[in-house]
Amino acid sequence: MTDLTRRAALKGAVALGAAASLPLPARASGSLSAAIYPGTWDEAYRAIVAPQVKAKHGIDVAFDTLWAVDQVTKVRAARGVPPFDCFVLDPGPAAAARQAGLFDPIDASKLTNAGKLPAGMIAADAVTVNVQIVGICYNPKKIPNPPKTWAQLFESPYVERLGLTGFQTTFGTVSLVEMAKAFGGSATDIEPIFKKLKEVLPKVAAVSTPAALPGLFQQGQIDLMYTNTNNAATLKAKGVDIAFLAPESGAITFSTTLHIVKGSENRDAAHKYIDTVIGADAQSKLQLSPYNMVPVNKDVKLTDNLDIKSLDEVAKMVTHDWNVINPQRAAWIERFNKEITK
Amino acid sequence: MSGTAHAGTTGIEWRLAAPLGFTYLAFFAAPLLILLVMSFSVDDNLGGFSTASWTKFWGDPFYRGVVWDTLRLGLLAVAVTTLFAYPIALVFVASGPRLQRLLLFIILLPLLTSVVIRTFAWIVILSREGVLNQALLALGLASAPLNLLQTELGLVIALTQIEMPLMLLPLITVMGQIDPSLSDASRALGSSRWRTFRKVILPLSLPGWIAGATLVFASATTAFISQTVIGGARLVYLPTLIWQQAMVVYNWPFAAVASVTLLVAVLAGVTAFATLGRFARTA
Amino acid sequence: MARQLNTPSDRLYGVVMGTLALAGLAILVVPVLIVLVSSLTSSTVLRFPPPGLSLRWYEALLDPGRSRHVHVALWNSLWVAACATAIGAVLATLAALALNRASRASARLLEAGFLSPLVLPGLAFGLATLMYFSILGFRPSLNLLIAGHIVVIAPFIFRTTLASLTQLDPALHESSASLGAGRLYTFRRITLPIIAPGIAAGAFLAFVSSMDNVPVSLFLSTARTNMLPIRMWGMMETTLDVRVAAMSGALIVVVLILMIVMDRLTNLTRRMSM
Repeated sequence: MTDLTRRAALKGAVALGAAASLPLPARASGSLSAAIYPGTWDEAYRAIVAPQVKAKHGIDVAFDTLWAVDQVTKVRAARGVPPFDCFVLDPGPAAAARQAGLFDPIDASKLTNAGKLPAGMIAADAVTVNVQIVGICYNPKKIPNPPKTWAQLFESPYVERLGLTGFQTTFGTVSLVEMAKAFGGSATDIEPIFKKLKEVLPKVAAVSTPAALPGLFQQGQIDLMYTNTNNAATLKAKGVDIAFLAPESGAITFSTTLHIVKGSENRDAAHKYIDTVIGADAQSKLQLSPYNMVPVNKDVKLTDNLDIKSLDEVAKMVTHDWNVINPQRAAWIERFNKEITK
Repeated sequence: MSGTAHAGTTGIEWRLAAPLGFTYLAFFAAPLLILLVMSFSVDDNLGGFSTASWTKFWGDPFYRGVVWDTLRLGLLAVAVTTLFAYPIALVFVASGPRLQRLLLFIILLPLLTSVVIRTFAWIVILSREGVLNQALLALGLASAPLNLLQTELGLVIALTQIEMPLMLLPLITVMGQIDPSLSDASRALGSSRWRTFRKVILPLSLPGWIAGATLVFASATTAFISQTVIGGARLVYLPTLIWQQAMVVYNWPFAAVASVTLLVAVLAGVTAFATLGRFARTA
Repeated sequence: MARQLNTPSDRLYGVVMGTLALAGLAILVVPVLIVLVSSLTSSTVLRFPPPGLSLRWYEALLDPGRSRHVHVALWNSLWVAACATAIGAVLATLAALALNRASRASARLLEAGFLSPLVLPGLAFGLATLMYFSILGFRPSLNLLIAGHIVVIAPFIFRTTLASLTQLDPALHESSASLGAGRLYTFRRITLPIIAPGIAAGAFLAFVSSMDNVPVSLFLSTARTNMLPIRMWGMMETTLDVRVAAMSGALIVVVLILMIVMDRLTNLTRRMSM
């Protein structure tokens, strides 16, 4: 309450200025703003989810295309004036957002499809809508005998074709943790991978931002990278020479979750949106090419464009505890900067 | 601007400066103040005063190095754009109206291609199997593909294209206003072309160059997307650092320190250009 | 340039300047050509060299069904850029006039202040602005985006206008005033025609940099006020969508046609370039 009155007082103070005449767009009850990842997710949700939400519930969904870290930063900066109603997040940013108290609770009883999801996929403030699988991607034309383990990525002739990316993304972080394990480290001791990185750095084809990887891959600067099946399949569907492979130690998996932003004025609409996303109708379409999103609804039969046969496979894959990783991440990023920089 | 005043002796006309001044106060100075306060805060809730972020930043040689690298990148961009911009401007002023129209269109071209797609074009040009490497190999100028992408050299080349219009537009504006009879007189008095360039064209075009250099320096040092995509992760500049600290690590006070540092450092550079110009003009 | 090159040193001057000019023009043109050629690809993904040529991505870009969200973002961006440039041009020109002949240290300081948004890292400014507006309780809207963009682009116009003002002979003012002309009249008949190219050049820079602004738009735009570069960045990154290249191609063609038409009509381009 004090927050509100302080804000009201501040607002009054500037009401004399021209800024006060700026309109505050009121949101109609039948509308919702949802954050969505750029690229495939944006296309898929715009094409499949939005029309279904409109048809079933009469709600207009507008999408704000933002990466997970951008979403969290934007909501934090907005300080209680939510810029959108729903997050879509990976575990790393989700843990950070939870710690910062940016979620409103989700009422599972309002989700008609709640029972269709495997146990554990609905939490008090999160609903899993998609499973991501991370492994090694390579160009089968240039690399006929791809590496079989994380460690082999750092050997010739592979390392000369490898595109590295750091700790700023979820898939980059978990891949580097797995590589650390391959050289004798663990999620709390990633010393071995830093040692290895320093050693191979003069040889690697590129150390890049994740955003640049698809372009670099396609133009032949790199022929090997680590990314999720979803990205790989999308590029493959567009005619890029790319193949996915799970390392011998197992592919990495993590879930993508939807959340309601704290202070959202469209909580009902947000529940209906989330319910539609996990419904069999949407999930069965989202798994098709070119979207290739691994479904979570038990009623959905997996199609063969995906790199897994059944959801049981996912249960055997490597997972990570982000409550362990997040506190160390800032230090890892700083160290990556310092040691990787020329 | 009273009728009897002489150039350089009047003060600021505050009434004319006020509208932009107040706009800046409302939409620029106020957010900036938040940034400054943030840099002295304990956390991103602006709770508690602390100089920890400042001491961490300036106490660490790595971060001091990043500041220097960023300024160096700006200076390199100014140097290389100057090297190409003057010859292009000379050709431009000497051309007829038809050719001038074509040249102007070419100069504006980089501005018409979004930063998003330009980065793709530079990957195509600079990558191992890229256009430039294929040309070098075909011409026998290199025996193996050069690594240009993700090097400072590659980044400066790419920035040159992106920033050149910012240098050229003010430069050709000012050079077009130079009375051609001055150059002719210099030539008629037996000066070589080099000397005419140095003694007539260079000093008279200085205001345009300063305007251009300011824009190029400021733009190159803050060109976040080009720096990260073309420069790659092995070249760390202040904007990259700000992005990481603000968006990934959520260390906003530290990001604020980096932002304020970048602002002050680049502002100092820009003021140096302006002072240089005043000095050169009065000397 | 029609003058004969008579000495070896003069010949060298011509060769050096000519070569550098050609190399410089090549640096300007080649990347754009690559974008244009890539936009004509027949494949489903951005690639160079393209396996075949077609106009399919221009069709896809114009298709109101498939590219509606791109069109909405384009209109938002155009509107914000136009408003910000128009308001910014007036404010910045006034400010440049205010500082034109002042030489005191305070004037230098104010000049640096007016230029400072240029050097503020956009990302930090975007973040700070969002916090500022949120503390005031404003929801992000197109108007706030315009305000943010004015700050970012006004320095361009301020800088180029100031540069062209230095070319203004103060004697012109004095004679105009001594002939009894009012200040407004002097401004309209003497100052404005001389500084107009500077304002135009600055306004052009301002407009395109607003259209291309990522960091401020990233924080101040919302689901309902999508901006073009943010939309294109997303399309480009993961899926290498060719429509991003087609958008640049379309923009180049539009500007080319505009320049030719304007040139035929008013000879305006020549004035702008001088």
